[in-house]
Amino acid sequence: MADVIGQVQICPDVFLLTLRADEIAEAASPGQFCMVEVRSHGDMDPLLRRPLSIHRVVGGGEIEFLYRVVGHGTYLLSQHCPGDRLYVLGPLGHGFQIVPGCPAILVGGGLGSAPLLFLAEELARDMVTVILGAPTKEELLCVEQFTAIGHQVLLATEDGSMGRHGLVTDVLSEVLSHGPDPRSCIFTCGPWPMMRAVYDMAHKRGLSCQVSLEARMACGIGLCLGCAVRRQDGQGYLHVCTEGPVFDAERVSWEPRQ
Amino acid sequence: MIAPDLSTNIGPLRLKNPVLLASGTCGYGEELKDLLDLNQLGGIIVKGISIRPRPGNPPPRLAETPCGLLNSIGLENIGIERFIREKLPWLQGLKTSVIVNIFGESTGEYAEMARRLDGVTGIQAIEVNISCPNVDGGIVSGTDPEAAAGVTRAVKRSTDLPVIVKLSPNVTDITKVAQEVASAGADAISLINTVLGMAIDVRSRRPCLARIFGGLSGPAIKPIALRMVWQVVRSVDIPVIGIGGISTYEDALEFLMAGAKAIEVGTATLVQPSSAENILAGIRTYMESNGLHRIGDLHLHI
Repeated sequence: MADVIGQVQICPDVFLLTLRADEIAEAASPGQFCMVEVRSHGDMDPLLRRPLSIHRVVGGGEIEFLYRVVGHGTYLLSQHCPGDRLYVLGPLGHGFQIVPGCPAILVGGGLGSAPLLFLAEELARDMVTVILGAPTKEELLCVEQFTAIGHQVLLATEDGSMGRHGLVTDVLSEVLSHGPDPRSCIFTCGPWPMMRAVYDMAHKRGLSCQVSLEARMACGIGLCLGCAVRRQDGQGYLHVCTEGPVFDAERVSWEPRQ
Repeated sequence: MIAPDLSTNIGPLRLKNPVLLASGTCGYGEELKDLLDLNQLGGIIVKGISIRPRPGNPPPRLAETPCGLLNSIGLENIGIERFIREKLPWLQGLKTSVIVNIFGESTGEYAEMARRLDGVTGIQAIEVNISCPNVDGGIVSGTDPEAAAGVTRAVKRSTDLPVIVKLSPNVTDITKVAQEVASAGADAISLINTVLGMAIDVRSRRPCLARIFGGLSGPAIKPIALRMVWQVVRSVDIPVIGIGGISTYEDALEFLMAGAKAIEVGTATLVQPSSAENILAGIRTYMESNGLHRIGDLHLHI
């Protein structure tokens, strides 16, 4: 059980949830996730916990989740206040693999910046480029937090209200056109078409690319096998909960998603 | 006060208590080792296995519905040989009953798997899945009483292990299938498997599952399951194991009162991995406080 410490609305449908969970905070590494209860105790519905990637670990055994209200379950989660207690299972899954000494390019689209902040905080300061994008300035998340770490932060909005007028992949393309260090690692999270475009660029240049995927999940621990994603080699499926949620992008089949 | 005796007999199989983990919701056991003390339970029924590995169905494989979960996993599994080589050694270290759930695409495949498991150390029983709604042909043997009996006979001829046949609820008269399976020699019957269902995402205007239909589980199906268990208990002489939406000890008690000799906890484990332990503790406390000595004392003889 974890105590709700904070529940803050960041923009119209995005919330920052802070939980006190000492053991999870202690064990967590960037890119891992938790299964978080959304219903109130005694309720049967919604049945399932929600998989949320860890946004940050803060001092004193606290973990933060940045999430969007997309349905009834996440709406109920947003109604939990300090004083409430929630069942939380985690940290789960395989997170980002940091390669010491290699420059890192972080590419986050919309809420995809959520797991990247934890990663950014763990990376050496002088070798990180962060590229964040969203439809509008209001939906650009965590810009101050990434900037405060001291990383170079490049922005793009689809309506041009902040940063470059365009997509994160336009900015990435420009960054890569300067002839990046061949040891560079790209870390990305965001909408499927964006991640696919990022993977394509990395693949063409022979750069390593790690993607954080999401999938519908019931258990989060490899029991139900519900969170399947097709493998690129055609040999069946990957499971987001136990083999991911972060994958080497070369393992994932990037066919359009339903 | 005398501590209640929670042991229960499923034909020739003696369980230390009536709480089992349902196939497909507890992996091969090891996934749960840090979250649940499996040795406290009556047993574990491992993820259904087939002769050859199966990749499972394309995603999306899951959809949540009110108090329920729709799935179309499609029996993704590593196949019987890898199961025996890679998963069984860990299970052999358990001090509880290990029951292997098998699925075949033909009667011959069922028999072949039963033969392969016969005499293998560490397996106490076989649960025969004739009722998976998510693979082509899976539902056929579960809904046709004669086909169900044929599979049961073939498995019984191929093994000395106790054979539990898991029934599909997607039939007009569950008692007919149950009676055929019992006459064919099954040692026990477990029911119900998932209820065929469907959901549509109105935003994307597509079915939520790639295969359109899936199996509904969770509290939503409990009344259906309980009714069918009640009917089957009254129509066959072999032990019945109750399955379907059991999330609390009260749910489990309902099935035991309906005459089930044991119960399986399924979707509840996905939601809360320690559910089965809590259910077992609740049954024990209930029996103590009501002066009941044996699991059979719960059975309502109405």
